[in-house]
Amino acid sequence: MKRFLVSALVIFAMLAVVTSGAFAQSKKTVTIWNYWETPKHQETLARVCKDFNSSQDKIEVVTKYIPFADFKKQLSIGAAASELPDIAIIDNPDHASYSAMGIFADITDKLASWPDLKQYFEGPLNSCKLNGRLHGIPFGSNCLSLYYNEDMLKAAGAKPPKTWDELKSVALKTTKGNVHGFGISSVQNEEGTFGFLCFLWGSGNTSFQIGNANGIRALSLVRDLVKSGAMPKEVINWTQGDVMNQFISGNLAMMVNGPWQVPTMRQQAPNLKWNVVLLPVGAIPASDLGGENFGVVKGDKVDEAIAFLKFVANPAEMKTYINDFGYIASRRDVAATQFTDDPIMKVFAAQMASAKPRGPHPRWPEISDALSLAMNEAITGVATPEAAAAKAQKTIDTIINTK
Amino acid sequence: MTNRAVRLRSAVLGAVSLLIFVVIMFPLYWMVVTSLKMEIEIFKIPPTLLPHVLNTDSYFAQLQHGDFNMFRSFKNSFVISACAMLMGLVLAIPASYGIARFTFKGKRAFVLGFLVTQMLPVSVLLTPMFIIFKSVHLLNTQLSAILADVTIGVPFSVLILIGYFASIPKELEDASRIDGCSRFSAFLRIFLPIASPGVIVCAVFSFLYGWGDLAYGMTFIQDQAVRPITAGIFNFLGQYGTKWSYLSAFAVVTIVPVIFIFVFMQKYIISGLTSGAVKG
Amino acid sequence: MSLSRERATQKRLALPRIAGRDRAGTRMNRLRRYFRHGNIGYLFVLPAITYMVLLVGYPIVSNFILSIQDVTVTTLNALGKPLVGLRNYQTLLADGVLQRSIGNTFLFTVCCIVFQFAIGFALALLFNMGFPLAKPIRGLLMIPWMIPMTVTALMFKFMFSSNVGIINQFLQACGIIKSPVEWLLEPRSAMFSLIVANIWIGIPFNMILLSTGLTTIPNHVKEAAAMDGASKWQSFLFIIVPMLKPVIESVLILGFIYTFKVFDLVFVMTNGGPVNSTHLLSTYSYKLSFVLFKYSQGAATANILFLILLAVSIFYLKFIYDDRRAE
Repeated sequence: MKRFLVSALVIFAMLAVVTSGAFAQSKKTVTIWNYWETPKHQETLARVCKDFNSSQDKIEVVTKYIPFADFKKQLSIGAAASELPDIAIIDNPDHASYSAMGIFADITDKLASWPDLKQYFEGPLNSCKLNGRLHGIPFGSNCLSLYYNEDMLKAAGAKPPKTWDELKSVALKTTKGNVHGFGISSVQNEEGTFGFLCFLWGSGNTSFQIGNANGIRALSLVRDLVKSGAMPKEVINWTQGDVMNQFISGNLAMMVNGPWQVPTMRQQAPNLKWNVVLLPVGAIPASDLGGENFGVVKGDKVDEAIAFLKFVANPAEMKTYINDFGYIASRRDVAATQFTDDPIMKVFAAQMASAKPRGPHPRWPEISDALSLAMNEAITGVATPEAAAAKAQKTIDTIINTK
Repeated sequence: MTNRAVRLRSAVLGAVSLLIFVVIMFPLYWMVVTSLKMEIEIFKIPPTLLPHVLNTDSYFAQLQHGDFNMFRSFKNSFVISACAMLMGLVLAIPASYGIARFTFKGKRAFVLGFLVTQMLPVSVLLTPMFIIFKSVHLLNTQLSAILADVTIGVPFSVLILIGYFASIPKELEDASRIDGCSRFSAFLRIFLPIASPGVIVCAVFSFLYGWGDLAYGMTFIQDQAVRPITAGIFNFLGQYGTKWSYLSAFAVVTIVPVIFIFVFMQKYIISGLTSGAVKG
Repeated sequence: MSLSRERATQKRLALPRIAGRDRAGTRMNRLRRYFRHGNIGYLFVLPAITYMVLLVGYPIVSNFILSIQDVTVTTLNALGKPLVGLRNYQTLLADGVLQRSIGNTFLFTVCCIVFQFAIGFALALLFNMGFPLAKPIRGLLMIPWMIPMTVTALMFKFMFSSNVGIINQFLQACGIIKSPVEWLLEPRSAMFSLIVANIWIGIPFNMILLSTGLTTIPNHVKEAAAMDGASKWQSFLFIIVPMLKPVIESVLILGFIYTFKVFDLVFVMTNGGPVNSTHLLSTYSYKLSFVLFKYSQGAATANILFLILLAVSIFYLKFIYDDRRAE
């Protein structure tokens, strides 16, 4: 028995050596992991890769699709098993965590002489940094703004709200029968935190402050909206997609959502009269920065990966794909030329001026969980805004102060 | 019982079963109806019992979605499930026979051992198994999913089949030995046929466990061309939200072939499931 | 082999003493003798148990090791991962969410098993009564088991929705409730909804296993009981149930373990919400590991689940399991 096992192991080991040796080719392959599942996104990405591959003959770029729901898990498993791609698309708030885990390479020095770096907006670029060092570059950005149903607001004799108080009153006015005035995705995960931060920052706080009067104000806003009946409690179970579905089905008068919903809304609800305005302002205008970054994975293909990134970041090249992806470019020069004939997208582009990035902090997921938990506690009434804020602040302080 | 009483009994039992059927199957009906509605109508208040506007797009969209091809994925799922089922049975049948018919020390320990392998949730099994499969270069092959699915089917089958093999009376076995059968041919000609309901049930469940598996197929296989059909669920469960009608259509499309297989094999399955009572 | 050992072996195996041939013989003979009787059972079990140990043993061990280390975002790629003994367990056991998860998991499992089993058994008995529609309907009732778990979970989440859900709509239309129930928004009703959904999924499993078990009960036994004047209920309790004991035991212990581990349903329907009130050990372990990157704590949570199931199984094997010796 033992001899059999030993010989089986030896055979496996030999197979492993042989098969790994067989892949010594002249062209270097760069693998990109992405989570874009819509056919349009996949086609556009394939086109960009094809453009790069045909523009030179030393590097071949290959894409692998990993579903969004599985992506972070697969990265974790891959990190533990040393089975990672060469480039990974990463949601910007998670970038710092993966850099801290040692997955992404520090490319600050390699990009030090790259002039294009100055063109990038500060927010997106900062999300690629850990301790001041760059671990990737932004791919594209977006943010959140306020959608509203024009007919419903007109029928209630209301104008789109500009301040928090106006938001509360307009939401109340447009609530009747089966219709609620306002909805924002409040699930207890990054998606919920994404929306809530618009209010937290709008109150004047940073990502790490909630236990003060500002934080309580932000929490009270969501609590009051639910208490008055203007916002359904069920938002704690609605993703941004669910909120959009409720909006286009005529169950919500206003919603906070991002530009990625626009194509679906135009296709599914062509007869709905809706529009977009800047988010209502609390103490200061604020929106949340969404969007993806490229992370360059540590390994022996860093230079090749950077070559691809520089190609993709080229303004002329970027202009060919950034609109198809539904992003606002993270480069100032390209962003200025976008959406000249799309008034809706123009509002989102304008909102970018007040869009802040989350964190960045390597332990952002834990901080995010504390924030969305506080928001859920306030919405469900399980805790008062004061208590929820204090509890969240305690958790956040422990995280920030531990090294 | 008189003929009339028999017919009445059949009618009453039939009616009761139909009622139970309708109640239990309602979620399935709801799923089919949702797949035929337009997205906007799905979230209407109050919900409509039948679609007002028919949406057949959801079904056409199942065929091809970017990198994903429905027929190829079906083939993958079928191969993975069938192989997992066969391999599971090949391992489980002897094991349960051994535990049921022989006396040796530590039988309970073996049963405990099989149960123990089921005690960790899938999410913590993924990373170590991934490392194992990576080290034997099985990542991105269907074999990795097959081997992983077998770890669900084997303990389950062993436990169920122990009961079946043990319930066969010793007289039968002794009688066959007197007739000159070796232990092995006794096993083939007597035990297996009598335990066939159990074997078939284990085969069915092993196949379905493999068919419904999502975690192993997604984690160990990164090539869309090799992934099972369950991976297709993410076509409609994306970063930006759920496409409800498409998702329901996907579910319907996924189970229809399985239903066909069972209807087609019904003759063997049902007869296998309901045969085997030891006569006399 | 010493002489006294040989004698002892021969005594044990009740071998006849052949004059002049006391030596036990070649190693092959010894092997054959070892396996001649019950011990050959080991060979039958060997392939299956080896397979399982190879594939699942390593994960169990590595999970335990992970749970006594301190692996987080910052230490994942560090070369020497610090061993912290039981500190993760201490932190977790003091954590309110974990305590709640343990209670939730038990509540969920026990409720589901009781109802799944009862309903599955009742249906198995019903369909065993032999009437025309029995076989096709029983076959079709397998379908809930075939639907991908994620889709089922999403369907139930949708049906239990407060404003667009069909369940509220139905209950209101029948006048049973006056205003919509917030099923998934209150801790207790959320648990209830999860349990209902899981019962629905688990009925076919119980029904089919018990059904096939029922068919192995010979007809003449049932007829003899009826002739002896036993009522349907007595025949059920004292004849059918005892004869089905092995099947029932297997269904229950497997059902308990599988239900205790349920993940997809809860993850999709409530994700442990509202406010962490419906977390099971499985979902909490996932959240700790793959969302919060607290890998060691996630492993420790999974290990707690493992230890509970181990205790339950040992209890089952010691006190309930029949050796099922071939009579």
